[in-house]
Amino acid sequence: MLGLIKKDLLMVKSNLKMICIIFAVYLFMTYNDNTNFAFLPSFISIVIMMSTFSYDEFNKTNAYTTTWPNGKSNTVKSKYITTIVIMLVSMIITILCSICISMIKNNLNMEELLSTSIGCIIAVSLIQAILYPFIFKFGVEKSRIALFAFSFLFVGVITLLSKSGIAFDIPESILSLLDNYWMIIFPLSAIILTSISYKISEIVYLKKEF
Amino acid sequence: MKNAIEIRNLTKKYDSKFQLGEINLNIPSGTIIGLIGENGAGKTTLIKSILNILKIDKGSIKIFDKDYQKEERNIKEEIGVVLDDMFLPENLFVKDINSIMKHVYKHWDEEQYFNYLQEFDINKNKQIKALSKGMRKKLEIATALSHHPKLLILDEPTSGLDPIIRSEVLDIFLKFISDEDHTILLSTHITSDLEHIADKIIFIDHGQIILEDSRDEIMDNYGILKCSLEYFNEIDKEDIIAYKKNRYDYTLLVKDLDKIRKKYDQCILDKITLEDLMLLMIKGEKQC
Repeated sequence: MLGLIKKDLLMVKSNLKMICIIFAVYLFMTYNDNTNFAFLPSFISIVIMMSTFSYDEFNKTNAYTTTWPNGKSNTVKSKYITTIVIMLVSMIITILCSICISMIKNNLNMEELLSTSIGCIIAVSLIQAILYPFIFKFGVEKSRIALFAFSFLFVGVITLLSKSGIAFDIPESILSLLDNYWMIIFPLSAIILTSISYKISEIVYLKKEF
Repeated sequence: MKNAIEIRNLTKKYDSKFQLGEINLNIPSGTIIGLIGENGAGKTTLIKSILNILKIDKGSIKIFDKDYQKEERNIKEEIGVVLDDMFLPENLFVKDINSIMKHVYKHWDEEQYFNYLQEFDINKNKQIKALSKGMRKKLEIATALSHHPKLLILDEPTSGLDPIIRSEVLDIFLKFISDEDHTILLSTHITSDLEHIADKIIFIDHGQIILEDSRDEIMDNYGILKCSLEYFNEIDKEDIIAYKKNRYDYTLLVKDLDKIRKKYDQCILDKITLEDLMLLMIKGEKQC
């Protein structure tokens, strides 16, 4: 599996110039504006991973790696692990850069910075959890359509339910629980969702033929 | 002689139209086996089934007497693969392959890989996409050979290569097979390559093996008989495997050349090439 992770990381490395430019833009925006752009690098990590899927698809690398020892069963695992690694690295770099800029500008708000970064990681994990099973099933191109159809269906169901007049009152106790323990509840939910997503992707991928 | 590959009653339905049907095959260790057939005949499906890229519907495949169900990892450690248009992403650098593969194969030989690069004149600091088609193919072969596999499975390894590079590639295969434990299964459209290096030819058509024989047997026993339009009716139907009517004469695929030479001494009997054999067996008329 280390070989597959290394393959993805080396692909990311070959796009390093582009990533550095994006980070430079992010730093410039954060420095000139008081707005926190901590979300940007986390979302870019998803874009980077999507490009690794595209390269694999274009070169039929998935069929090739199936001929490697344990190649097929490790492909899914390696994609999830690489995404987490890239996400964490980008978050650490973002936090460090934000701290440096805030110290220069003398307006460091550590709590806000941490909460934004963790929030972004959770959001990206959710996107990954939904997106990856589609990619493993349909490939990058078709999964965009499938994801669009899924989102459309999801919004449609929510709209229908809200128009049907059903009340969705969240009990006060749950709200206060979320308020007090969000630092535990949200990351835990992200881990659970990612685990479910991984299992679905694995089942889908092991059945796939090239 | 031990078998490198043993296939029993392999059946694979593919794309709802195509079926690889009831394939039985033994590939002995220490041989080069040439797989021929027209596009869509089932060569790649057979190769992908052997590599467990496709799940077979029925039958069994054993590699070095091992079963994929129980020993997939061990089997794949011993196979080197060059597949048509399937490789590592082209934005990677040639030297990156070493960093990746040393974590993939237990017996990856870093020194051997860089020796091959030097031998094939491939610049390790280049991106894969910057290599010419011939260089890229040589890189794929270097990658397939650098973990000391016992079995090489090659799908169209020489397609699109010029004659000089093709000859170099064939020399690499001959060098590999000089170890009697090594085996090559090679699928190609360039049948002249097989005439030079293959020990045995397997001819696939519509998902079935229609001919399986040693290269020498085929080259010595099959021939092309050319006869006039008038003389054609005097030839025994049992002597004709397949035939093609041309504007001024007939081209016949025949077997048992000594008998044919004596029997039809007024006709021209030519040596066969694998291309002639393929053309007549696929496109030729079968019944008179």
